[in-house]
Amino acid sequence: MKIAFLFPGQGSQKPGLLNDLPHETSVKKVLDEASSALNVSVYNLQTKEALSSTTSVQISLLTAGVAAFKAFEAEGIKPDYVAGHSVGAFSAAVAAGVIDFRDALRVVKIRGELMERKYPQGYGMGVVLGMDEDKLQSLVSQAYDEKHPVFMSNKNAPDQITISGSLSGIQRVLDEARQKGASKASMLDVSTPSHCPLLSSVSEELAEALHDIPFHRPFIPYAGNRRARLLFDPVDIRLDLAESVSSAVQWHDASVVLYENGARLLIEMPPGNVLARLAAKAFPEARVMSVTENGFSDCQYIAQKNKRSKK
Amino acid sequence: MEATKQAINKKRSWTTRLDAKKKRIDSVKNLVNGMVIPTDRIVDVMEKLIQPGDRVVLEGNNQKQASFLSEALAQTNPKKLFDLHMIISSISRPEHLDLFERGIAKKVDFSYAGPQSLRMAQMLEDGKLTMGEIHTYIELYGRLFIDLIPSVALVAADKADRHGNLYTGPNTEETPTIVEAAAFRDGIVIAQVNELTDELPRVDIPGSWIDYIVVADEPYELEPLFTRDPRHITDIQILQAMMVIRGIYEKHEVQSLNHGIGYNTAAIELLLPTYGESLGLKGKICRHWALNPHPTLIPAIESGWVDSVHCFGGEVGMEKYVAARRDVFFTGRDGTLRSNRTLCQMAGQYAVDLFIGSTLQMDSEGNSSTVTRGRLAGYGGAPNMGHDPGGRRHSTPAWLNMMTSNDPLARGKKLVVQVVETFQAGNKPVFVESLDAVDVKNDTGLAAAPVMIYGDDVTHVVTEEGIAYLYKADSMEKRREAIAAIAGVTPVGLTHDSKKTDSLRREGLIALPEDLSIRRTDAKRSLLAAKSVEEIVQWSDGLYEPPAKFKSW
Repeated sequence: MKIAFLFPGQGSQKPGLLNDLPHETSVKKVLDEASSALNVSVYNLQTKEALSSTTSVQISLLTAGVAAFKAFEAEGIKPDYVAGHSVGAFSAAVAAGVIDFRDALRVVKIRGELMERKYPQGYGMGVVLGMDEDKLQSLVSQAYDEKHPVFMSNKNAPDQITISGSLSGIQRVLDEARQKGASKASMLDVSTPSHCPLLSSVSEELAEALHDIPFHRPFIPYAGNRRARLLFDPVDIRLDLAESVSSAVQWHDASVVLYENGARLLIEMPPGNVLARLAAKAFPEARVMSVTENGFSDCQYIAQKNKRSKK
Repeated sequence: MEATKQAINKKRSWTTRLDAKKKRIDSVKNLVNGMVIPTDRIVDVMEKLIQPGDRVVLEGNNQKQASFLSEALAQTNPKKLFDLHMIISSISRPEHLDLFERGIAKKVDFSYAGPQSLRMAQMLEDGKLTMGEIHTYIELYGRLFIDLIPSVALVAADKADRHGNLYTGPNTEETPTIVEAAAFRDGIVIAQVNELTDELPRVDIPGSWIDYIVVADEPYELEPLFTRDPRHITDIQILQAMMVIRGIYEKHEVQSLNHGIGYNTAAIELLLPTYGESLGLKGKICRHWALNPHPTLIPAIESGWVDSVHCFGGEVGMEKYVAARRDVFFTGRDGTLRSNRTLCQMAGQYAVDLFIGSTLQMDSEGNSSTVTRGRLAGYGGAPNMGHDPGGRRHSTPAWLNMMTSNDPLARGKKLVVQVVETFQAGNKPVFVESLDAVDVKNDTGLAAAPVMIYGDDVTHVVTEEGIAYLYKADSMEKRREAIAAIAGVTPVGLTHDSKKTDSLRREGLIALPEDLSIRRTDAKRSLLAAKSVEEIVQWSDGLYEPPAKFKSW
């Protein structure tokens, strides 16, 4: 049975998230490294006030994911696959040995700052449940106009898809979706229209920042965000990390690719259990856990047991 | 003339295939012990026995997988082995597609790829894989003897002896067909076995058809695909099962049949000893089956409903039960089941009165498909069994019952029944204006839309609303009306004018539960002969041994 580690993105944060990490020396090392690289204690970034900034959120998520991964690694547990949602993809890239943690911190900080600066007000994201992609896409196309742009963005599940753009455009789509049979359609508490073409200039600047850091071949196969393929070439991964912020995250397909490749134990790195819930619904035959919900030691125990049984 | 012919004949060798085979066999002489390939040398040997561009048929069934050989092939060096043309009836293991990702294989012909359907679609899009065709099983097996003749066959068996005789036991499935196509055209046959022994329980495939055997490092993979836990059968499925028994099996006196693997057909199997018995139908319907050993058929067998069952493959846990009921099943001298997918598919296509199965989508004319956009899944046995081979001639009551005219040359028809609920999980309508299969054809450039069962072959559609007797419709218009009348509040159902319902009922084009004297409130789980896997085990006198994942006690 193969193991996949999943790294969550924005929306999974909560105050004090770094305090909930496993109390291991490997974790402490990662947190210290982050603090020294950023010249600020990472513990200050995870307070309620600090987490109102996208930049703090992204750095905290990256740090938490990498720290938890290192804790597993210290116990001799290495996944067969990694994938991360949005900023979580940076944690996955660090885990796969593609980029260095310090470089990731620097670039994620830039990523957060660019996203904050780009659209100060009047933009955001919404989510629609219980409506399939084709139907939602047609509603989005109808609602779109240049003054009130709106796009279909992340496909988290076949019937859980986000939309991004101007608040008025989003509202139009949400109203229509509710009328046309969606089981739920609501605004998300996000102030940036992520994962749509409105952020293409962020992608361009991010690409430049990513060009300055060394990339290596992944030693763990890595599933990308945009096209939901396993990526082996560092150049492809760099492109995915840069483009993902202005492209829809094909999360559902990415996790299906892991499953089709044989992953049957999926463990979500902290914080939260958003990805674990999606996976549990998508793959009833797989074993799905999250560090936050099941605890580090249970996850570690199951992964260890699984390793011994080989298949 | 004479002289010219001799001149031509002299130039040509008539044994090129055999010569090439001998050469390959010579090249591995030092790596093998007679017929036996040492387990740890399999990759080296494959790199020599197989050549770039070869057509390789790899045994990947629904259930049994030549998993040791497929993993070994995926480990070969793509610099030595490339451009293979793979023929795999069921693409279900990750390494089946790793072959393409790594550049070892290029082209594929297959029937079913459900468990790898997203990767299939991606690789096709990325140009890593080129498509042969998505075949029905019999077409694929048939073409192994016509224009897809394999250079190499990689198969799995339970046991072999020193002479290469194989025991495949209950899981014989498609092994004999694949081996035959390669062995008698000077192809190379490699069989992985779980065990090498001195004496076999019986010989399923003679050793003279086999070139090499290799003992696998672990037993071949086997999936219990046909076990349905009665716990998950719903009241709606029971209502549909009652309608099928009354409105189709009894009405047309259906004696021989094949069932799909859904819960709705499992419900029918479990209603025979209860509801069927109460209608006095035992011995009149459902006597002969083309079916895997479904555990849910046990109560009907134990109650004396079933005369015979021929199987495509085995089912994990059913071995002892089958051996103890040899009057019903096809069994060898050793007592275990003999299955054969090719013959059972053919029997299911040509020899039975009725096929019944389910689908994910159906259009207003009754065409159905299980493909979803962005996925390339193919289909299982349904397209073979779910169609009416035009040249058939039968004299069973059900067959003759499908005649709708007095024409002296009128002929009967095979019954092809689709049973669906109007909406599937996630609030998705089953009845749609246009099948996703049409989009898939356009997206992927397939030669034909991957329709599972063509509408003109479908004789009956059953929903929770009622039955549409499509074979009676004398025009496309009528056909559409009958389908729409039972399609609920789906886009297709909403086109139905409810004023027409009564006339359709009078003409016998549709039947509602009350027309069949079925009260919806009677459709309860308490009617099931067994309500859990545990109760099936009790019915079997403890002979059925369910896999761990079905044990809840």
